[in-house]
Amino acid sequence: MSISTKQLLSAGAMALVLATPMVGHADPAKDLAVAGRALTFLENGPTGRAVLGVVFDPAKPGSVAEKNALMAALGAGYAAGAVTLIGKPVEASAVGGVSGVAALYITEGVNYGAVGAAAKAKKLVTVGSDPACVKSGACVMGVATEPKVDITVNRAAAAAVGATFKAAFRMMIKEI
Amino acid sequence: MKKQILLAGAAAGLALAATTAHAQSIDYGSMEQLFNEPVTTSATGSPQRSTEVPVDMTIISSADIKRSGATDLPTILSRVAGVDVLNFAAGQSDVGIRGYNQARSPRLLVLINGRQVYLDHFGYTDWTALPISLSEIRQIEVVRGPNSAIFGFNAVSGVVNIITFNPKFDDTNAIDLRTGTGESNFVSVVKTMRLGDKVSVRISAGGEHQDEWKDNSAAVTAAMIHNPTTLHANIDAVAELGSKTQLRVEGSYSNGQATQVISTFAYAAHRIKTNSLKATVTSDTKLGLIQVQGYHNDLDALTPGRRYLNGITVFSVEDLFKVGANHTVRLGLEYRDNQLNTASYSGAKISYKVLAPSVMWNWAVNPKLSLTAAARLDNLSLERTGSFPVGVPQTSNKLWDRDIKETSVNLGAVFKATDADTLRATYARGVQAPTLLELGGLIIPPATPAPVGFLIEGNPFLDPAIVTNYQLTYDRDLPSLKAKASVKVFMQKTESVKGQFSTAVVSIPATATTWAAYQYANTGDSEMKGVELAASGKFGTGFHWSADTTYTKIEDTPALTAAALILRKVAFEATTPKYRSNLALGWADEQWAVDGYVRQVSKFSSYNGNLLEPVSAYTTLAGRVSYKLQNGIVMGVDGVNLLHGRQSQAKGPSGLQAERRVQFTLSKTW
Repeated sequence: MSISTKQLLSAGAMALVLATPMVGHADPAKDLAVAGRALTFLENGPTGRAVLGVVFDPAKPGSVAEKNALMAALGAGYAAGAVTLIGKPVEASAVGGVSGVAALYITEGVNYGAVGAAAKAKKLVTVGSDPACVKSGACVMGVATEPKVDITVNRAAAAAVGATFKAAFRMMIKEI
Repeated sequence: MKKQILLAGAAAGLALAATTAHAQSIDYGSMEQLFNEPVTTSATGSPQRSTEVPVDMTIISSADIKRSGATDLPTILSRVAGVDVLNFAAGQSDVGIRGYNQARSPRLLVLINGRQVYLDHFGYTDWTALPISLSEIRQIEVVRGPNSAIFGFNAVSGVVNIITFNPKFDDTNAIDLRTGTGESNFVSVVKTMRLGDKVSVRISAGGEHQDEWKDNSAAVTAAMIHNPTTLHANIDAVAELGSKTQLRVEGSYSNGQATQVISTFAYAAHRIKTNSLKATVTSDTKLGLIQVQGYHNDLDALTPGRRYLNGITVFSVEDLFKVGANHTVRLGLEYRDNQLNTASYSGAKISYKVLAPSVMWNWAVNPKLSLTAAARLDNLSLERTGSFPVGVPQTSNKLWDRDIKETSVNLGAVFKATDADTLRATYARGVQAPTLLELGGLIIPPATPAPVGFLIEGNPFLDPAIVTNYQLTYDRDLPSLKAKASVKVFMQKTESVKGQFSTAVVSIPATATTWAAYQYANTGDSEMKGVELAASGKFGTGFHWSADTTYTKIEDTPALTAAALILRKVAFEATTPKYRSNLALGWADEQWAVDGYVRQVSKFSSYNGNLLEPVSAYTTLAGRVSYKLQNGIVMGVDGVNLLHGRQSQAKGPSGLQAERRVQFTLSKTW
């Protein structure tokens, strides 16, 4: 081959500047898939059919929209690895009285501080796609799927509800 | 008597981890589905996403293997950027990474589920003897560059870690049939079973036969030709010992024969039998993921006049744990006992024992930056027992009482500059220990009494080769093009290159009562610099493509003369092609799949006796067309070397030429 190193480098550089990364947007169905699979890495985590409470604020259109999208994705049962999630809408103000749910998914716009406190009292794992929720400790786990899957676990929040993730899983995610 | 070779190590602040088996029992499938990308434990011993590893790694998936149309692992590996493959015969290929490839290539470590399957007496891999069916492979992890701080000896040009499906997590069942030109016939069966709630078993067996390539070379006689034939079987069982503890037992057997090129680049008929047994206990404890493993490999190899019986036993224990939110640590300890009878003189045994502590530390500094470091201290004790043939110059077993201590180090930094841009910087110091054969396992006396004639023998004073490697990698995702690209620059130095014996270089002169001896020897240093460009992507409906080219420039610095490098078969500057490039294009829908692979290798030299002989640059085309029937059976037509009926790909006029081969395949997976 007569191609020089310089020519190869030039070609490579040209290829790299051809495109810029596309900014991604949250996809509730994808977030749900990641959240459901991630929950299976809990010690004694849910298997088979498990109810996921979808926490929303009826006064926040964004929250309601996300809840609706999640419930649509959940349908009659959403298979995520070893667990099949059944959706149950839960108003944010009603979290303190919720029962029969394996975990709570907190939609964006909800007052996650209050919801997180109520969930802790009931020893429920909370999941959300709002990074601020997991950073604050109201969410035990934060999930994102764009531009790539990203999972963050708040160790203090997990400890507060007695949640322990499997060791191999912990080594592949971010912990704060 | 006994000796110690300590390939020891001091860690250097940060570390990747050691011992040959890591947390291999993770549920790869669930992890892959969760993170939407392959996962691996081969980079640091800790489970990691493929895009976050602090090494240069390519992962070949089971889907890639199915669509490749390849019937053997070297063909699959040849399509990986930077990989060199020397196709010496229909049943023998030697695989290297970024140059330094040779017959009986000893620089590449090959593992199946963490068990070394390279042959320890010689340090090379007989790919046809691997006891595995392609359809039971989950993924093949190819690491470029030294990684012996993680894996130990031989991992100096790279590592190929073959991960099979785990019967606990993966219900894999497949049958594959092939027949084609060159009298090639192949069958393979894989079956997974559940025995109650707590035991899962996967068994596999296969056999293959083909005719050797047509012999047009005067240098290859009929006695050197064996039509490649292999049989293999494998069992893999996992038992739940508790909610967090499992036992995995793997056993294997292979038996085959083939025409092969030995380390002197001469052809020989070769027969090989292997068997292995491995047990691994893993437990998720409060102290971390603890793994205790032991395995034994047996080899019975016969090259005319020399029968090698090699047994290696390895025990290892490791603990992988997280400290706080941002630190992952792995502590390991490995013990290995490696024994080889001498051949062709069969009155003695060469052995060594190795004790190797290791440590790995991964620090997630912040969401953008992670640092990893590993070190392994190899402590090797060499020993020889038994007698000597009358006439050898070295007649005391005490000469083999030797210790070698060396340290292997891997350092890596991964910086995610943006969501699309990742930079990697790595440093590695790898250790290539002398093989048992080089250290004295080989002892071929002449038929005449001393001092008439010459003795070929190993050298107990051979030093390990030390390989240091520096690499910078820039990866960029191009989502608007559904593509990604990477640029890599690297520099590598090998000190104390190990050379073959040469019948033109006397190592020990004859005396009145002893033969002159030809021995293995360290031959000097060698440096390699290079750059690699790679890109891949998808377009349209069902199309995918990939392209790569790797440039390497090698400069040998002989300890004596350049001619000595040729005589000792280590003139890598001449025998390494400067370019190896790949282009792949494929398309698939629900029923049809069509894939094509073009590979180009620039000119290089090989050996014909004590001379170099040129091998012209060559281009190959391979491909597969398949159709899936409604009952799940897949019919396919595969072809390799489609551009030419015959083509030199490893040697010049003194070698066999690779032939065009086409096969019809039937397969079903359930």
